[in-house]
Amino acid sequence: MPDGSVTISQLDLELRRIRKRYGSFTAVDDVSLQVGKGQFVCLLGPSGCGKTTTLRCIAGLEEPDDGDILIGGKEVTGDPPWKRDIAMMFQDFALFPHMTVAKQVGFGLEMLGKPKAEIAKRVAEVLKAFEITSLAERKPASLSGGQKQRVALARAMITEPRILLLDEPIGALDYSLRETVMLELKMLQQRSGISFIWVTHDQNEAFSLGDLVVVMNHAKIEQQGTPEEILARPRTPFVAGFVQGNNVFHGEAGTAAGGVLRVACPVGEFLVPLADLPAPAPGAAVSFSVRAERIADRPDPTLPNRVTARCTAVEFFGAVRRHILELADGEVLKYDQFGALAPRILPGQTVDLGWRAEDSVLHDAVLQG
Amino acid sequence: MPDGTLLQARPAARRKAQRFGHKFRSRLTGWVLGTVTLLFLLYQWLPIFTLGLLSFSGPTGGTTFPMNGVSLHWYRELWDASIMNDFKPPLGRSFVLALACSATTVVLSVMAAQAVRGRFRGNGLFFYLLLLGIMAPGILVGFGFALLMRLLGVDPAWDSTAFVLHVTYTLPFGFLTMLAVFNRFDSRLEEAALTLGASRWTTFRRVTLPIVLPGVIGAGLFGFSLSYDEYPRSLFTTGADLTLPLAVMAQLDRQLTPELYAIGTATTVFSFVAIGIFTFAFWAMRQSLRGRQP
Repeated sequence: MPDGSVTISQLDLELRRIRKRYGSFTAVDDVSLQVGKGQFVCLLGPSGCGKTTTLRCIAGLEEPDDGDILIGGKEVTGDPPWKRDIAMMFQDFALFPHMTVAKQVGFGLEMLGKPKAEIAKRVAEVLKAFEITSLAERKPASLSGGQKQRVALARAMITEPRILLLDEPIGALDYSLRETVMLELKMLQQRSGISFIWVTHDQNEAFSLGDLVVVMNHAKIEQQGTPEEILARPRTPFVAGFVQGNNVFHGEAGTAAGGVLRVACPVGEFLVPLADLPAPAPGAAVSFSVRAERIADRPDPTLPNRVTARCTAVEFFGAVRRHILELADGEVLKYDQFGALAPRILPGQTVDLGWRAEDSVLHDAVLQG
Repeated sequence: MPDGTLLQARPAARRKAQRFGHKFRSRLTGWVLGTVTLLFLLYQWLPIFTLGLLSFSGPTGGTTFPMNGVSLHWYRELWDASIMNDFKPPLGRSFVLALACSATTVVLSVMAAQAVRGRFRGNGLFFYLLLLGIMAPGILVGFGFALLMRLLGVDPAWDSTAFVLHVTYTLPFGFLTMLAVFNRFDSRLEEAALTLGASRWTTFRRVTLPIVLPGVIGAGLFGFSLSYDEYPRSLFTTGADLTLPLAVMAQLDRQLTPELYAIGTATTVFSFVAIGIFTFAFWAMRQSLRGRQP
């Protein structure tokens, strides 16, 4: 949720209910967003969810059919890209093939009409800062992926725009390179104080980089919040299912007592805290989720939420053993086991599992449309 | 950037794919295809070669085989004889006309291709209407155009009516060239320039144009060469001052000597030299695109 304490004058970017349609297809639907000064925002979602279109609307490469865009408190909805205080980095970097590295890094300053000597000086500084001085006279065709990425970043940041828009900026890099680059970019963002709007479909990127993560699906924002909030309290079954490690249960609301709701599911009855949500009417369709690492095997008999499941596969993630299990109704359950000494569960084995009431997270029925 | 970060997989994968394609062609198909191609090229070029050969025949030689000796007689004749004086004005006109067509084709075809690239209502119809210039038979178009001009009271001339008609013919070729070039053009380069503060015009001048320049030159070459030897569309629309193809045809009607062959050969050599220069220019541009290596 946008932080209510942020005042308008501090906002680098504000989207007010923007909407974009292509014929009968709605690409962005009623998207509102507030980005404070120097924030790192990740737009996260599956392909086709509208995150890139939202980014392009901010850049001015698309014009929204409805709604307002404010950059630094100034209305820019109808302005062309070159009049906005932004820069953009493209997935495949979009380097100009006919310009040397030095020339394209200086392009933005040239467009601002800066004197030649000043441009040359500033380009030299920036090339040095990005450790690409030795590439100054090269052209993009002779650069490696990592080098191109640096050139693209240097080119975008040299004018110190208010906002840097990044469209899957490390998607074109080798997998082994991504983690290093992510860390560098995060530090660069913090040093520069420029707001980053980073579009990605990779939740690892979003959760490790973003101050604010905005999860989108079907042209709408499903949930926005800090990575911790989204991991701990997914508000919709989509977010819960999209974020790794969640088990989503669908069922029927029963009675609520003491802030805890009974939910009847095909595989049993579960206790789910209402938290800040109003109690749904008995019989209403509800859903909740529980994280794979919050589940315990051989559960204590006092645990209220219990299931029996058959293990179908085990995956190893370093210290974690992730078990894929099948519930009585055929649904999949994920269970993460930690600890080297924990008794192993083998594929084919049937086990009892359980979790505490407070480890279940009820989803917001209003958002489930 | 440390060396471990190089992305090297892609060119290697491409080379592999090329080798893979090779595998499917057996030795026999290779030979058959090669022979057919060679025969086709011979068929295409032998007439010009024959013409060139006959232009070197001796002073008593005619316009058919045998050659009756070998000499530069007809070229010398061309150099100082009166026939060249008959051809000089048409040559000049054709050259100017071809240059004008070339320039017009370049400007209009880039604009038309940009327009179609941006999609607008009726861009499909626009596409086919432009291509009609290639499809429609030249002699009919020329005749119809001449009738229309007479109706409007416009006198036909090489630098007005013929020019317009030539452009209707050369423009579609340039347009198709530019469409093909823009098809491979990555429009995100333009978007990158726009987000870096360049206006649309600056983006076109600094990013789009330099990248599609080879296509632009190609469109210009089409404009020049198609107009330079255009006959059917010129026939009824040129008026009294003839262009080179018309003058050559008139000369053919009067008297056929190896001098005409000499003109043809000289023109062909001139074209080859022009093509050679452009090829070299392209090569040099491609080299400079790769950039200086450390």
